[in-house]
Amino acid sequence: MKPRTRQVLNFWSLFTGPALWWGTVLLVPYLMMLAISFYTRQFPFHVPDFQFGNYITLIADSQYFTVLLRSLWIALAVSVTAFFLSYPLAYFLAFKVRSNRLRLFLYTAAIVPLWVSYLLRAYTWKTILGSEGILNSFLMWIGVINEPSTIFLYNQGAMVVTMAYIFTPFMVMPIYASLEKIPVSLIEASKDLGAPRFTTFRKITLPLSMPGVLAGFTFTFGLSIGDFISPILVGGPYSNMIANVVATQFGMAMNWPLGSALGVVLLVIVLGIITASDKLERVGRINLG
Amino acid sequence: MKVINIKHAAAALVIGVAASAHAEGELNVLTWEGYTDPSFVEPFTEATGCAVTPTYVGSNDEYPAKLAGGGGVYDLVSPSVDTTTILMKAGLVEEIDVSRIGQWDNIYEQFRNHVGVNYEGGVYGVPFTWGSIPFMYRADRFDQAPDSIASFWEDESLSGTISLWDDKTNIYIVARLLFGTDVDVYNLSDDQLAAVRDKLIALKPHIRKFWSTAGELVNLYANGEVTISNTWGGYQSSLLAEQDIEMVEFIPVEKADGWADAWQIVKGSPNADCAYAWLDYATSSGGQCGVVGVTGYSGSNPVVLRECLDEATFEALNQADFKYIDGLVLWEEPARVDAYINTWNAIKAAQ
Repeated sequence: MKPRTRQVLNFWSLFTGPALWWGTVLLVPYLMMLAISFYTRQFPFHVPDFQFGNYITLIADSQYFTVLLRSLWIALAVSVTAFFLSYPLAYFLAFKVRSNRLRLFLYTAAIVPLWVSYLLRAYTWKTILGSEGILNSFLMWIGVINEPSTIFLYNQGAMVVTMAYIFTPFMVMPIYASLEKIPVSLIEASKDLGAPRFTTFRKITLPLSMPGVLAGFTFTFGLSIGDFISPILVGGPYSNMIANVVATQFGMAMNWPLGSALGVVLLVIVLGIITASDKLERVGRINLG
Repeated sequence: MKVINIKHAAAALVIGVAASAHAEGELNVLTWEGYTDPSFVEPFTEATGCAVTPTYVGSNDEYPAKLAGGGGVYDLVSPSVDTTTILMKAGLVEEIDVSRIGQWDNIYEQFRNHVGVNYEGGVYGVPFTWGSIPFMYRADRFDQAPDSIASFWEDESLSGTISLWDDKTNIYIVARLLFGTDVDVYNLSDDQLAAVRDKLIALKPHIRKFWSTAGELVNLYANGEVTISNTWGGYQSSLLAEQDIEMVEFIPVEKADGWADAWQIVKGSPNADCAYAWLDYATSSGGQCGVVGVTGYSGSNPVVLRECLDEATFEALNQADFKYIDGLVLWEEPARVDAYINTWNAIKAAQ
């Protein structure tokens, strides 16, 4: 066998599976979604077509903009909350913990929630935040409030807290990975040259960990903007997210074209965020160079 | 000992295989929990040789979604009589030969003649169960029942303790509140829908949570989150009674919606004989007494239910009073269902 033939054979023996998988479960469905988003709704289903009516509906009817804006806001709030919870933890793990065993233990503890079912974790927050929940009982016990408060559960705040908790591992992991790779010599050099601790953090540690921060933001933002379970479980009357609307279009409304158009919009937003974070990362690299 | 155990297991396996080989067919059923309870399915399987494998739905949306998604898996479905319309108009279900259903004529006339099971002169659904969508409140939180849902907007003490079903059917009762109980809630104009939308959006600050499953509503009451809501008549209140929470159901002056569920045969089902055997059984005493006993809903065939229910239960389920059904506004699929869904979505979306 010619080396060239062997090379081709090797290549395809390795990549046929992934290529088939990628094509059939990712590429083709996305193309189908794109195609259906141009179809025309006709009771009870839809007919193939090429028109922009579904997209016009999304712009003309303000309910979609309201929900989209709410989803963006919630996803941003979740990402920022997760960042402020995760960065100190990752920093502590990477620089402050001396024992490897302890570090492994703490790191595992931080990401172990991933092994527990999403639903279970969301339900747990109901028992914490509810009117007769743990938080209310505690606040009444220490005398901060006299009667149970309803402000903790069934609103956007509860959704942000729940999702921030659930998606925090996706923020901790990339930040920790990028912090861990920073050569200690750089930090020592900065200190030797007389930079105060915060300056060292601001000029060395933080910029060098930005790729991890951006990756964490991208994961968290992408996961929370498409979430539709937390609005159902811990959200209130003002918590409908874009994914809930998509779910209705494919369920009760049987309006696949409109649902697909919403899906395309959501996909474009997430792709836009990934592209933006990629660009930002490149900018960061050049500045450091 | 181990050897003997293995022999036993092997024998059981052989018998099991033999038994299933003798079965006349297998019914894959997409239905509500409780509608194929083993307590009354087992006698059916013994008598007919038709095994029943259920898949449960949590809402009516799932019937069209699952059938339209291209299943070919299911033989029977049991949606409510509004959703039945979508399935028959979409050509997803078969016309039913009612001469093969022994008890057909004993089923309530209101359901047999309902627009949800009749289409182009043919019958497309066999009514099975029914009930109302009343309101209910926690007995320990109220001195007297609010007689109108208008109090939801007016009574400040209710604010933040109200729960409503996450469903487009809320439009109907609010339309009756706004335009009188005689309004045809299934043919509202755009202006009327807009008025209902604004009215419900104005209620949102007072709503604690929209409930979507029976269990969720039960938990909302049990955890002290809400005190008043709409409900699936008789069902959630009995679940709460098991937790020693006393509920009072009431029908406001705006009247209550009525629902009924009907069995439909999925188009192209290869097990038509078993499907008809099930339709026959479901409307006879075995199926009717079985499902009423398990779910606490009312049954579609009062004649056979009189045999198995005591007088008090028969009365409590409103099976004796034929006029009761006429007092309800039975669900129908609105002609402009898209406009209704859009209205409900706009209510949910509003900031």
